[in-house]
Formats: sequence, structure tokens, C-alpha cells
Amino acid sequence: MPRYELNVNGKPTTVDVQPNTLLLDVLRDHLDLTGTKYGCGEGQCGSCTVLLDGKARKSCLVAVSQVGQQPVETVEGLQRDGKLHPLQEAFLKHGAFQCGYCTPGMLMAAKALLSETPKPTRDQARRAMNGNLCRCGAYGRILDAILEAAEGGSRA
Amino acid sequence: MAAFWTRFWKRRKGARVPESPHLTDGLAQARKSAYRQETEFARELYHHHDLPLYRFSVTRRALWQALGAGFLLTVSLPLSGQQEDAVAEPSPGKRLSARFLFQADAPLRVLTGKIEMGQGARTLLSQAVAEELRLPVDALQMVMGDTALCPDDGGTWASLTSPQTVPAMRAAAAFARELLLDLAASHLGESKPALRLTATGVAGASRTVLYPELAAMAANATPPATAEVTPAAEWKTLGQSVPTLDGQAIVCGAKRYASDLKLPGMQHGWMVRGPHYNSKLAVLREGPKLPEGVGVVRDGDFLGVVAPTRELAAAAAASLRPIWRGVSLLPESRLHEEFRETAREPVAQPGARYPGLITRGDPLNAFWSSPRRLESKYSLPYIAHVPLETRSAVAEWKYGQVTIHYGCQAPFLVRQEVAEAMGIPELQVRIIAQDSGSAFGGKQRGEIAVEAARLARDAGAPVKLTWNREEEFTASYFRPAGLLEVRSGADEAGRLRAWEFHNYNSGASGIACHYDIPHAWCGYHPARSPLRQGSYRSLAAVANTFARELHMEEWADILKEDPIAFRIRHTADQRLKDVLRRGADAFGWGRAVRMAGVAQGVACNLEKDARLALFIEIQVLGAEVKLRRALMAFDAGAALNPHQLRNQIQGAVAQGIGGALFEKVDYLDTRIRNARLSRYRVPRFGDVPDVEVLLIDRREIPAAGAGEAPITVVAPAIAAAIHRASGHWLRDLPLLPALDRIVNPPPPAADGPKA
Repeated sequence: MPRYELNVNGKPTTVDVQPNTLLLDVLRDHLDLTGTKYGCGEGQCGSCTVLLDGKARKSCLVAVSQVGQQPVETVEGLQRDGKLHPLQEAFLKHGAFQCGYCTPGMLMAAKALLSETPKPTRDQARRAMNGNLCRCGAYGRILDAILEAAEGGSRA
Repeated sequence: MAAFWTRFWKRRKGARVPESPHLTDGLAQARKSAYRQETEFARELYHHHDLPLYRFSVTRRALWQALGAGFLLTVSLPLSGQQEDAVAEPSPGKRLSARFLFQADAPLRVLTGKIEMGQGARTLLSQAVAEELRLPVDALQMVMGDTALCPDDGGTWASLTSPQTVPAMRAAAAFARELLLDLAASHLGESKPALRLTATGVAGASRTVLYPELAAMAANATPPATAEVTPAAEWKTLGQSVPTLDGQAIVCGAKRYASDLKLPGMQHGWMVRGPHYNSKLAVLREGPKLPEGVGVVRDGDFLGVVAPTRELAAAAAASLRPIWRGVSLLPESRLHEEFRETAREPVAQPGARYPGLITRGDPLNAFWSSPRRLESKYSLPYIAHVPLETRSAVAEWKYGQVTIHYGCQAPFLVRQEVAEAMGIPELQVRIIAQDSGSAFGGKQRGEIAVEAARLARDAGAPVKLTWNREEEFTASYFRPAGLLEVRSGADEAGRLRAWEFHNYNSGASGIACHYDIPHAWCGYHPARSPLRQGSYRSLAAVANTFARELHMEEWADILKEDPIAFRIRHTADQRLKDVLRRGADAFGWGRAVRMAGVAQGVACNLEKDARLALFIEIQVLGAEVKLRRALMAFDAGAALNPHQLRNQIQGAVAQGIGGALFEKVDYLDTRIRNARLSRYRVPRFGDVPDVEVLLIDRREIPAAGAGEAPITVVAPAIAAAIHRASGHWLRDLPLLPALDRIVNPPPPAADGPKA
């Protein structure tokens, strides 16, 4: 079985898997990074969103062989030195979730948004986040949280 | 683990405090709380260990060594009369239990059969107990939905946690508080008012007595003379916007759902299903040799694979060569006909939570003698729950007993289902209801638990089974489709006097006409359904409210009257009038922006004891509908956690938009045709407007449930607004395709017979 050397949350990691194994399965089943969630398997719900070279990607549509040396960032890598990322703080403050299942994907998509558009308008944020589903319907709160992190976040 | 637990329990039986009848009697006399109830007091005294919930590798020796000391207190309360004016019916004999595990070296544990699926039960119940024990919420740990540890509180459904479980928990916690304070007072020789409960014991001025020490005294305890719950005016924890207790874990991706669990030696399961709805396995042909370590389980139509990894399981499943047989489903075009042909007459069930027939006066005569009459027909399709976390279960057999982790809503019912399917007694099944990644009524049944148990039994190892999105649609159940026929009559002055309401197939909940109409007949006709159907957030109240409210809107239009004034004129309920009036003011009713196609709509409801009104502003452009803004005025009595309540309301409105505008299960011949998210549309960021919530907090009124009621008013409010914007009455959900059929009518068929 081929061996892949990945850079996940700043740490070099190796996995022995078939080339077509999905990045989602590598993260969840092989690296035990279960914050990244399965929701649909066809890139429709965004639960599996991770950052690949800083860009938001649906990890259910990425084969491990496509990753190469691009850094992979997951929700588990958001905290730095035991401190929450401003987006995490803002999600907590606004209670921007109910069951919490979509939250990791939301956070990663929001991080990608803020790195491209540091001060989005509410409508810009709404459009940018449209690929992520929250079945509990916390959409308004998620937008509130993103806009707040954009205002105050230095690392956003 | 269950084996250990059971044996352990038996071994300790000798140490139990014997039943003391005088305690029960004394307590019954002593109860004078706000809730009319008799309380029974049962106690278990034992030494316990800190039970590992998810790891089952402890040996018996280790288990005994791990034993610490603690005190389990069970307070059992009758379910009836929990809340005197609750809508819920009393169910004789049914009891709610609260179990508290007081420990010296671990947080105080509260054991409840309710589960957490995002609706906030964990936080809310922690608040209820913390309030009465006078402890901070983080001094408690909720153990939820574990059938080996928790009392059977019924499923988590029907918005019952607030009106039923919270009062029961509060009464039980108040009782526990007084009992412990009494014991500590005599132990420490201090007066009761000087004492307070802490996480591990009762603190006095001089020293703290740990709970295990008190446990030893409980054998001869006299029950407390009074155990009053804290009046609303003195609440410190209840009524506060306590944030979700596991919020930190959620934003760090550390919260573990059933789909995230990994047990030692765990294998991965994969179900092989045919392409048809209800596929039957005709033949399983010889296929290529499977890799080592991969097993196939075939049992009748059940066909599954177990392998060391998910990838292997999927590959093995794909290499099997089954031939499936399907049966054609009744064509959708004949659905309503089928409902009518197979309909049974409504049955009055006095005292039922959702009686199937509610009548008053003489509706038939009143209708025909009314000078103005209106008849309308409404319908709604099957829709899917689409919980974001697809069903997932991990099953493990040990000593003939099976433990299943599954984020289900009704662990005790699932236990029963698994026991029946496996042919073993219920006590040999333990369900641990992991917090669920949303459920919405869809995770009440145990299909996946049974499948995982079946696979694991043959595998001889723990097996995790996670459904893919398609299976969520095809292997479970839907919200029922429904046909509703309403006819009503008004007098010359435009006052409604007759109301006849038929619901075919979709259900009885919310069927009662709460408007002040003297002659009414509301009946639910159960019928035959081609698709499996079951519970869904608020169940039939969505259908019944859609028909009732749109019918009211039609009357207001006929009478050329403001729809809010028309409703206020037809209700005697002051609180309902309040949400309508105050909501209208806050929303700016009648002051829509002047733009082409913009209009406002309203719908209200008195559902499960809550009063609510939704105001919405939309824009209709051709066949497109854009929701611009919305406001919900909501009164569910006391707001036990205003933040969570708003979150529930906003979420229910968002979810309701899907069923109102575009959700519909599409089926043809033998198959479900849109069983994936690229074909089945659910509300996204762009579909959902910002929803303002006007919360009317009435501390003096016991809290009603609120997780479901808000979803009921979404479709009628939007349909009313569409009518006001475009002149089209859309009486069939979902509304967007209905609007499209009017705006872009299909070209007439060139030839061929037409119905």
C-alpha cells in the first residue's frame, strides 16, 4: 500500500492507504481527527470542509493522492497555544450552533472567507457560506459570529 | 459492561436500604409544592465506581478495585399533573424518575432518560437541577439516555422536556436538597439554614460532610417535611441564558458523536441495499473471493459486510453480486385518491395527547345554515428529516449481551426494537444514546441499531455502521404526506360559526381548532401510505396549521379584513392576541417597503401551550420568492433559557422554510429519485432571512415546550404573503413548484387521453 506524507495542522504525518482514499476518511479513520464530519459525500453540505493550502475544500471530494505537500488545516488546528481562535470565541459568544455537527466545517469555511475578505459585509458572508449546511438553522448566529470575528480578530 | 453492571447490582442487593412505607406516606403528605403530585421515594444505597461510558475493557478485578463511594438517590414522580394546565394528557401509572448520584470525588451526576440532539436539553436540565440544589451548573454532569443507568423517561419528543421533565427534575432536586440538608444538620449539629450543598458534600460553618458519609445515615432518615421548588421570582440559574454546556468541545471539534467513536478492535460495517425502495434480495450470486478479514452477513433480505476498514468494507460491498427485486410504488398522482379510499373514520380518544377527533356544537347544521360558506383543499408531500449527522451506531457483544452507542431520541424504544429483532430479553441490550448531530423526530427508531447489532454478532467484534446520505432517505422513514379538506361557514356579520376539518394520513397533532368558533368538527383519518412514515418535528401540526391558518387568511381576504384583526376577533385567548398585536407593532405590519412584488404575511398558532405569531416580508418575482425579513412573537410562559429559546425559534423557522418552499421526496416506480443533497434541497444561508424574536417571558406561567411550535407557522405565513404579493392562492406544499406551475404552466399535451 502506498505511503503518503502529509502536513496536517503543521505536523508531518504519514499514512499507508490506497491512492483513492478520501482525505475525509484519512483524517477521521486514520488520524483520528474526527472534528471533520461526513454529511453527504458529494460536496453539498460542507460538514467536511478543511483548508488545503489555505483554501476551503470539501475533504469528501479530495483523494489523498491529490494532497501532496499542501498544508492541511482542520478544526483541531484552530487553537494556538491553548487559546481559541477568534472565530471559535465568536461562535461561542453568539451560541452559533445547536447540535454542533456543522460547526467545524463552518469554522473552516469562515476562516477561508476571512483570509480572502477580511471585512466582509453580511451579504458577502451569506453568499460565501452558502455551501455549508446547518440543519438546526443557526445561520443568523453564524453570520453574527463571523462578522464579529472579522471586526476584532487579528488572526482571522 | 452491562453484565458487570447487572451482577454488581445483584451482589449489592443485600446492602440496599429496605423499603420504608412510612417514608413514602410521610413524603406524600409533606409534598405541597406548586405542582400537584404525589411523590414516591425510593433509595438505592451502594458503593459505586466511576463508570467508564465508552470503554469496555475493564476486567472484573479492575472494576472492583475502582470502586469508590457514593450515594444514588432515586425520586420517582407520577407523570400526571406535572403541570396542571399542560396540554399533555395524564398517563395513569406512568412515572418520571430523577436519579442523582452524589459522590465524594467526582461531580454530582444527574441521570436522565432524555437525550441531547441540539435542542438544549442537557443545558436546560442542568439548570433545573442546579437551581434547586443551589449549585452552579458546572458542578453537575448529565448522564443522558443510557438504558443501563438512566430511568426511562420516554423518548425525547413532542417538546415535553420543558413542560414535563423540568418540573419533575426540579421537584426531585428540591427533595434531595432538603433530605441532604436535614441529614447534614443532624450530623454536624448545625442549624439547617447555615448549611449548603457543594459538589461533593454539604458544607457547614465548621466543616464539610461528604456525601458518602451522609449515605450511611440515609437508612434511618425521616423524609423532609417540605421541599418547595424555588419560586420563579428567586431564580438564579433558571431563566438565565446559560450557554450550551459543551460549547467549548463543539467549537474545538472535540465533541464526539456516535459516528466519531472508536472502540478497541472495532470493525467497520457496510449495508448492501438494492436500488429499490423495500428491495428484496432474490439471489446472491457467487462473486470474487473476498480479502482476508472481510465477512458477509446474509439473513433473509439483510445483506451486510464487515471489514477492518471502511474502505475495505465499501470495496467488498461493491464486489458482491446480489439480484434485487423491487415492487412498484403507488404512483404519486394517485396518492390523494389512495388516502381517501383507505381512510378510516376518526376515533375520539379522550385523554390522548393527540385525540383523533374533536367536536363541539352541531357543525353540520351550522355549516349548511350559514349564509357564507368556504371550502378549500390543502396538501403536503412526504419530506425527509435530513439530520446533518447521518445515523451511526457502534455495537459490541459480550457474554450474550449487546451494547449499542447510537445518537437516538428514544433509547428505551430502540432497546426494545433490538431485543425483539435479536430474540433476547431487553435487559441484555444496553443503548447508550450518544448526543446526536440533530434528529428532528427522525431518530426515534432503531433500524441502524438493529443492523449494527446483527453485523457485530457475526463479526465477534465491535462494529461501527454509519449510513451514507442516500440511506438516510431510503432506509428510514419520512414525514407523512397529507391531504386536508376544510369547510367553514360565517354569519352575515362575517363571524365564523362552523368549522369542519379533515386530515387524511398526516396525523392528529395540532388538529384542534383553537379559534372561537361555536360549531367545530376536526378529525384525522388514518390511511394507507406507500412510503414508510413517522415522526417529524411537530408532526402533523405543520399540516394542520398550514390548512387552518391559510383558511383563515382566505376568509380575511373574502371579508376584506386585516388578517390580524380577523384572527383577534376570533380568539378569546388574551396571550394569543398579545403575540399578534405586539408582534405586528415590532415588525412594522402594514409598512412593507414599496417595491414590486413585496408583501407581508402572518400566521399564528396556539400549539402545545405556546402562543406564537410569525410575520414575514417577501418579494415575489415571477416564479421566484425571496424572503426578506421575519419576526416571531413568542410566548411559551416562563422562558427557562431565553438564549436557547431564541435559538430554537430561529432554527425552527429556518427548517420550516424548506418544507414550505421546496422540500419534497420524489419517487417513481420502485425508487426514491432524489435521495441525495444535490437533488433534495434544504434551506441554506441564502434561503433564510434574519429572524428577529420578540420573546414574551411570563415567569408566572409554567414553561411550555418550544422546540416544535415555531415550525408550524412558517408555511402559512409565506403562503399568505405570496397571495398578497401575487394574487395566487397556493394550497399545496411545497410552494415554489406550486407557484411555478401557475407562472409557467406546462404546455398542453398535443394528444392522448386526458383525465
